Amino acid sequence: MKVSFPYMGTTIVYKKLLELLGHEVIMPPKPSQRTINLGVKYSPEFACFPLKVIMGSYIEALEAGAEVLVTSGGHGPCRAGFYEQVHRRILEEKGHTVDFIVFNSMFRDFKQFYSNIKKLKDKNSWLKVIKSLWLVYLMINKLDILEKEVQRIRAYEVKRGETTKVWESIQKDFDTVRNKVQVMAAYDKGRKRLADIKTYEVKEDRKLRIGIVGEIYVVMEASINMKMEELLGNMGAEVERSQYLSQWVAYNALPSFINKTHEVDIIKAGEPFIPINIGGHAKQTVGHIADYGERGFDGVIHLMPFGCLPELVSQSIIPKISQQYDIPVLTLSIDEQTGTANNLTRVEAFIDLIRGKRMKKIS
Amino acid sequence: MKIGIPRSLLYFYYYPLWKIYFEELGIEVVTTPDTSKEIIDLGVKNSVPELCVPVKAYIGHFIKLLDMGVDYIYAPRFVSILKGQYFCPKFMGLPDMIRHSFDGVEDKMLIPMIHAQNDNIAEYKNFKFMEERFGVSPKANKLALGKAEKVWLEFRNSSLRGHTAQEAADMILNKPENHITATNRNPVKIGVLGYVYNLYDPYISMDLVKKLQSMDVSIKTFEMMEEKDLNKQLKKMSKNLFWTFSDKLLAAGYSFYEDEEIDGVIHVTAFGCGPDSMLGKLLEIDSTNYAKPFMTIRVDEHSGENHLQTRIEAFVDMIKRKKMKTRRGA
Repeated sequence: MKVSFPYMGTTIVYKKLLELLGHEVIMPPKPSQRTINLGVKYSPEFACFPLKVIMGSYIEALEAGAEVLVTSGGHGPCRAGFYEQVHRRILEEKGHTVDFIVFNSMFRDFKQFYSNIKKLKDKNSWLKVIKSLWLVYLMINKLDILEKEVQRIRAYEVKRGETTKVWESIQKDFDTVRNKVQVMAAYDKGRKRLADIKTYEVKEDRKLRIGIVGEIYVVMEASINMKMEELLGNMGAEVERSQYLSQWVAYNALPSFINKTHEVDIIKAGEPFIPINIGGHAKQTVGHIADYGERGFDGVIHLMPFGCLPELVSQSIIPKISQQYDIPVLTLSIDEQTGTANNLTRVEAFIDLIRGKRMKKIS
Repeated sequence: MKIGIPRSLLYFYYYPLWKIYFEELGIEVVTTPDTSKEIIDLGVKNSVPELCVPVKAYIGHFIKLLDMGVDYIYAPRFVSILKGQYFCPKFMGLPDMIRHSFDGVEDKMLIPMIHAQNDNIAEYKNFKFMEERFGVSPKANKLALGKAEKVWLEFRNSSLRGHTAQEAADMILNKPENHITATNRNPVKIGVLGYVYNLYDPYISMDLVKKLQSMDVSIKTFEMMEEKDLNKQLKKMSKNLFWTFSDKLLAAGYSFYEDEEIDGVIHVTAFGCGPDSMLGKLLEIDSTNYAKPFMTIRVDEHSGENHLQTRIEAFVDMIKRKKMKTRRGA
């Protein structure tokens, strides 16, 4: 099967999993202006931005010869659960024939989940599947550890852009691994390379730390959020994201009674503000801001797609949390408008303000 | 004791129930006047810009109520009125948006969770909060709820007989009827798809329904459809939308497409409405397959109504001309 998937974050891990199972993977190209244009052209005007970008990605993947698209589903209340239905209809309308394999929660409909797994499993033995899953999970974990390091170092690099370059080549190294030993080797090599990057010495009380929260797609996919992490890093701020793939996997794969991941605490922190799950990542967003506030971060950037339903609720509540935890929050809503100057100015002003606040504290 | 209910969102679907229920318990019910420029402005000033206009209107009505001297404001949290389905996230988080935006309002708000098996929300557990909060006896509570439910069912039946939710509510609550009867000289029937809180809010929809009726058009809306007919349509889809009212709209849309009596479909949606962005696209794609005229009207907090008048006139004229042509056999 020629398989493809939506482009989000460190895509090599999905690619690796499918490759290990013996599928031919058509890598969707990194979202570019063309991707966005294609997506916008065929998607409903008021659909949220991730739907449009993914639409564009699918079209590009199909052009490259993909036959099957693997994606996640959902049952609301956020729109993301219905993406695949709309995508399917639009692609049909456009004259493409394509199969979707949609993963809904296995706790809700295990039969369908199982049949999907079986489709992907193909002729592999279950042992092979479990081994592959385990290897990919290890890879995700190691990559996330390295990425967190990248987000820290980037703020202090001497040669601008070096960290990003190293990070890209680390991902390339990981792309070639086939077994556990190679994963560990790639990981050790990556650690060493990151440690070799020359950095400025910055006093502990001068360090700025910014959290990025919001809707998972715009937080994770750098090519559509103006490379927010790089941008903040270049301005001299350490960055932490609310979403990492390893956390997401751990949180979603475990049934609730043995789920002891950090995400559970985060959701608890969001409870006073939004007592029930209202879909998407609204509760996590709120919880993460509270968490960053408690951990003494200097500011939070809140990213959301234009018109995102759950994030609008969290955006409405943010002024209160920001006040309660004394942490500045900047909300940026992301859409297909590609003029970055205005958001850039806002982020710069935000960083200036935070730095000013920090200086006041020191003196 | 006075309880205030904002004249917005699901007020237009559940007001008969709420009014009778509270009045049976000896509580005075206060509602805000029709949405006005002033109320919308209040809402716009006190909310996040990207919210849709009905939610902004709700916030405006809410603030208005605070000034009207009520003791409590009934602001239920709608979660689900069908198993496995939900409301739009904005509905589910609405009480949170409000209570965290204004200081000191939380004590005044009554925020019961609404969970029900179907759109009849008169289930005991949804109204138990009155016992916990105000010491209403269970017996009196059940009695009031029973009466209220009966009235609400009458209201729904009246809709099923072909009245819009607004006309039905007026009739049930004995208000003078302001229904414009179509003279049926040139019968055009249009299916109007839209949420009750957009369609029947005279400010938001700019009285679209009455505008159509005054053009000799008879209309059909989702609340006039039998539940089982809607479900029949939904069964055909491989996966439903998971918002109940959106599902109803989509099903009504497909029934309108199949219904030979219906000459065209108008979809009224609010700028930035998430569920509608999906269902609107599906209906748009299919309108060509069924060869039915389909028009989207997108409303927001702006109040210029000339464009709307022109567009619906053009739409209706087009349909009339098309019908005339077929009659002549051209």
